[in-house]
Amino acid sequence: MTIVPKRLGIKFSLKRQPTLEPEDILPIFQRWIQEHRVEGMLIDVIDYKHVPEGPGIVLIADEADFAYDLADGEIGLHYIRKRDLPGDLSRALQLSFKSALAAARALEAEAPGDIVFDFSAAKISFFDRMRYRNDPAVFENARPALTNLLSDIFGGTVTLARVYDDRRAVFAVSCTVAGENINADALAARLEENRQSV
Amino acid sequence: MTTWKEMLKDDIPAEMGKLIDTYEAQMELRKQGKLDEKVFAEARLRKGVYGQRYDNGQRHDGVRTRDLAYPSGEVVKGPDTLWDAPGMQRIKIPYGGLTAEQLEVLSELADEYSDGILHITTRQDIQLHYVHIDDTPDLMRRLAAVGITTQEACGNSVRNITACTLAGVCHDEVFDVSPYADAMTHFLLNHDDVQDFGRKFKVAFSGCAGHACGLVKMHDLGLLAQTREIDGETVRGFTVYVGGGLGTVPHQAKVLAEFATEEELLPLTQAVARVFARLGEKKNRNRARIKFLVAKLGIDEFRREVEEELKIVPHDARHTAYINALSDFSYKPAKAGMALNGAPLPDGFEDWYRSNVYRQVQPGYSTITLNTPLGDFTAQQGFLLADIARRYVGDNIRFSVEQNVVLRWVADADLPAIYHDLCEIGLGDPNAGTIVDITTCPGTDTCKLGIASSRGLTAELRTRLIEKINLLPDAVRELKIKVSGCFNSCGQHHVADIGFFGNSRRSGNHKMPHFQVVLGGQWRQNAGSYGLAVGAVPARRVPDVLEALTERYVAERGEGEDFQTWVKELGRKEIKAMLQPYMKLPSFEEAPAYFSDWGDSRVYTIDDIGVGECAGEVVSLFSMEISKAESTQFEALLALDDGDYKLADEQAYKAMVQAARALVRTKHLDVGDNYDDIVGEFRSRFYDTELIYDRFAKGKFARYLFKRHEGAPARVNEDYAHQIIDETQLFIENVHTAEQRINGVIVG
Repeated sequence: MTIVPKRLGIKFSLKRQPTLEPEDILPIFQRWIQEHRVEGMLIDVIDYKHVPEGPGIVLIADEADFAYDLADGEIGLHYIRKRDLPGDLSRALQLSFKSALAAARALEAEAPGDIVFDFSAAKISFFDRMRYRNDPAVFENARPALTNLLSDIFGGTVTLARVYDDRRAVFAVSCTVAGENINADALAARLEENRQSV
Repeated sequence: MTTWKEMLKDDIPAEMGKLIDTYEAQMELRKQGKLDEKVFAEARLRKGVYGQRYDNGQRHDGVRTRDLAYPSGEVVKGPDTLWDAPGMQRIKIPYGGLTAEQLEVLSELADEYSDGILHITTRQDIQLHYVHIDDTPDLMRRLAAVGITTQEACGNSVRNITACTLAGVCHDEVFDVSPYADAMTHFLLNHDDVQDFGRKFKVAFSGCAGHACGLVKMHDLGLLAQTREIDGETVRGFTVYVGGGLGTVPHQAKVLAEFATEEELLPLTQAVARVFARLGEKKNRNRARIKFLVAKLGIDEFRREVEEELKIVPHDARHTAYINALSDFSYKPAKAGMALNGAPLPDGFEDWYRSNVYRQVQPGYSTITLNTPLGDFTAQQGFLLADIARRYVGDNIRFSVEQNVVLRWVADADLPAIYHDLCEIGLGDPNAGTIVDITTCPGTDTCKLGIASSRGLTAELRTRLIEKINLLPDAVRELKIKVSGCFNSCGQHHVADIGFFGNSRRSGNHKMPHFQVVLGGQWRQNAGSYGLAVGAVPARRVPDVLEALTERYVAERGEGEDFQTWVKELGRKEIKAMLQPYMKLPSFEEAPAYFSDWGDSRVYTIDDIGVGECAGEVVSLFSMEISKAESTQFEALLALDDGDYKLADEQAYKAMVQAARALVRTKHLDVGDNYDDIVGEFRSRFYDTELIYDRFAKGKFARYLFKRHEGAPARVNEDYAHQIIDETQLFIENVHTAEQRINGVIVG
């Protein structure tokens, strides 16, 4: 299954709990709007840190949302592409990974050594219950294509697993690169290489 | 590729499906510039599709105002409201009641179309924010498939009908008002007599006079349950209040009828609606709520108007049919009622039990309130909450006007287990209904009218109060705080012990966010009295003001003296003097933090305030009705394109009848829906009188309608379908022209 979902999310989690609190991210995201620090038409920042395991602090853009996300007990940068996804899943993933990576790196630069992402793993969410119901059959059906596509992105063998057992939840896949410690530069290089080969 | 429309076609009630299709067609017409932007705005609002802050394409980023170049460019979904700008979807939940399945669908929609958050409003609705308008038809279809409508969630119509969350389980209620709220919801939805208001119309039910829950005295129409002995029988009915409201100028509702029986309830409501539509202000939206009409006429004259109107309200079997169905309205608990059994209690249970549990009138059952911070919960929490509901209470879920989730019919023996499960999903906080449990509107986060950050302030106060809640005396713990981002009162600050509403003041060359302090409002007695505005303080000083007020109250209050009484006795002058030290405005250089709002690091500005859509668009009834004809005609075109000529013919015919009806209703509101009646009235009022006549074509276009009304041809082919759609277009244009000529104005 290689249908492009309505919305596509990529989350990179932090390697460890930072000293920075979620409220410290709010002024960072506000400044990003002023400085146009990440791509897209940036609109506003919204604060959901009062909601347990919620989207945390969200930078809303026209095309995508950038959340300093607190879901699943893992703090991370959750990039959700809402519009203008290319019609091909490979390209949609490449585009979303590239944007997610750029935002994660920008956040790392705000607190060097404190905010550190694990780029050897990601959660990929398919916000589209029409085409991607969260059930084992859909996962098994999508797994071969996703394995190929994500192996291309990470440049190594990836292991995929369904994130949520709950059929009502969004269809999400965790992707881990086996035995490798992928850093941001390596991932960026891979994405650039893939872009040129497309 | 499959669409939601196709997938859910068997699950969506036909009438709801048609309304959504019509709206979708109107969207397309607007994008093509064929539907007036004001008319579309009102049609959109009546689907609950609201604008949001920055949808005019501008935002101040703390340094300068920037243009937001939305991709669809100049296409608008209403005056000064850009098509691609994120908006808010309001979803009506009548009396706040919903099922586990409905909660699941709402949660799905939150993370597919919104930002993963469901927000409970102060009128028991759900709001999803940052929704793209293009997603709204499918969003509505998915809701319709589980029996939820967004119809008339905004706009100048009857909004969500609210009721006490304890209705049916309360110790003090006269009777359960839920089935009446339900019946009135169904009766008024899309009713002809609620389509021509100058402003919105809010209805609330309450089961008793003493408690807060129903808040009937602050509503346009409030129904308070009563019984009377008549001929030796106990008869149910309602004291009917009219003309209450908060907003900038709060009004206490007046008693329209001391006692209206069940039989009188719906016709009386209909008569009130007709009087409001007929006599209410239409041009000046600031004076268009029914409270101004009641104040202008006086309650006695208003009552006389209603009584006269009652005499001409057409007979409607639904006026009384619902009474027979009242007994069908029942609750199915998931488990048999059972007392707490002495098993070990989880940590924190006792605090939670003290504040969040209400022992129902039914032995062995309790109602629990989930302290839902700022009215927000995640889609994931929604799914898990649906599980908890199924496990313990079945479909007995409600949303409260205090922006909490309420689960009813919990077997007492299950309280420790449900508490444990709620803690697992982050919804086990104690202190529901206490000073921590603050009500707030969206404010500057998303509202176009927001002046100050009500949510930012609420989050800050909440955090500070939680830290010391266990140290607070009961008299303070029990206080109600309510916050609005502006004077429009969506946070209901007038009926709080301590209310705040956003405004701003100037200091040097900068604006500083402020909150006006409103003290001594009464939540009980159905919003029995409104608070006093005592002065505006910088937003940053509000926590200090709260502390000063509560400390002094504790120190000076007499034995058992409540906050309202204390405020009244202290007097406005003394309170103002107490606030004076907090009102001092530092310069920007002295205290730059004062020039940023809570939860917002930008230097404060009021440049982002836009034109709100709360008031809807003042659009004539004719404009709204003719727009339906135009969208139906558009659907006929789509059917023609699909090669479905029979459907194209049916839609074209329907569009002609809708256009005729639009014109007829400018003279005869009660024409109804019957095609024969509509065509007959149209003929006698506009054709026979030649009022519809075109200067050159005379009655030719009207005859298109008459011809089709006589019957469809035996065989409908492409040529015929094409022809009737063209004729429909000409007829609609004819109606437009005639209406302008006859009535002089289309859009008010």
